[in-house]
Amino acid sequence: MVAKKTMTLNLTDAEMRALDELCEKKDLSKTAVMRQALRLYQLIEGRVEKGDKLFFEDESTKEKAEVMML
Amino acid sequence: MTITISPIYLLNAETNEPETAELWDGITEKQLGDWEGEWLPELFKSVQKLHRAGIERKHWPQSRHWNWRRKTEALQGMLAQPGFAIVCNGITQGMMILDTAMKRCQLEGQKGKDIVYVDFIENAPWNRPELHEPALYRGVGSIMIRAAIALSEELEFKGRIGLHSLPQANSFYANTCGMSDLGMDADYQNLRYFEMTPEQAEAFIAKGTQA
Repeated sequence: MVAKKTMTLNLTDAEMRALDELCEKKDLSKTAVMRQALRLYQLIEGRVEKGDKLFFEDESTKEKAEVMML
Repeated sequence: MTITISPIYLLNAETNEPETAELWDGITEKQLGDWEGEWLPELFKSVQKLHRAGIERKHWPQSRHWNWRRKTEALQGMLAQPGFAIVCNGITQGMMILDTAMKRCQLEGQKGKDIVYVDFIENAPWNRPELHEPALYRGVGSIMIRAAIALSEELEFKGRIGLHSLPQANSFYANTCGMSDLGMDADYQNLRYFEMTPEQAEAFIAKGTQA
């Protein structure tokens, strides 16, 4: 097991609600959701930095929408 | 890069005795050196034997095109795509790269849930019965799958894992690992997609390490 460090996270009510909803929906603890968010954020940043583009695709129409990372 | 090394055992098929080995939670220059200096020459020899024996190209190991150096360098430092390696007798015996962020479950009953996806997994050529008879070390694949399950549990994904299998490994994932076979995936080179539920993960762990 890799050693972990503890931090305090300050969130607004709205952010905390969003976090609670994600925890409920994904059956994960707050820590697990935040860690997953960090992994995804780092991954996307890394790919965009390399020049890749991020798209959402509608499964039925196959229509693609580029997510602009500013 | 800090690597955690955990003690494990592999079965040496020549002596039929367990041998101490290590599970590394990363792929380092040591592994890439072993891949280039030990795996590739052995793999080329095996492919040459198959070719000379008149075995059709489609039956040659598909992983012969995998470039672990390129894969590892592309994922360096990425939290979402950790690598693992097994070292025994000073040599890398297996490597694996996981994806913990970009895939979701496909199996009814857990569809859409988070999953640890096994992106790449490869055994050293001398441990593969189809290339080297008898295989030298047994247990590499099972220990890698257990490591993927352990990570899935650590991330609170409850042991759920998934993978696309190369044809030579279909029976291992279906029978040894007890994963659900969702059939050939037209969107992924027609490879069979296998997925493990929390119950299947628990049963596999309880069964212990096998080949």
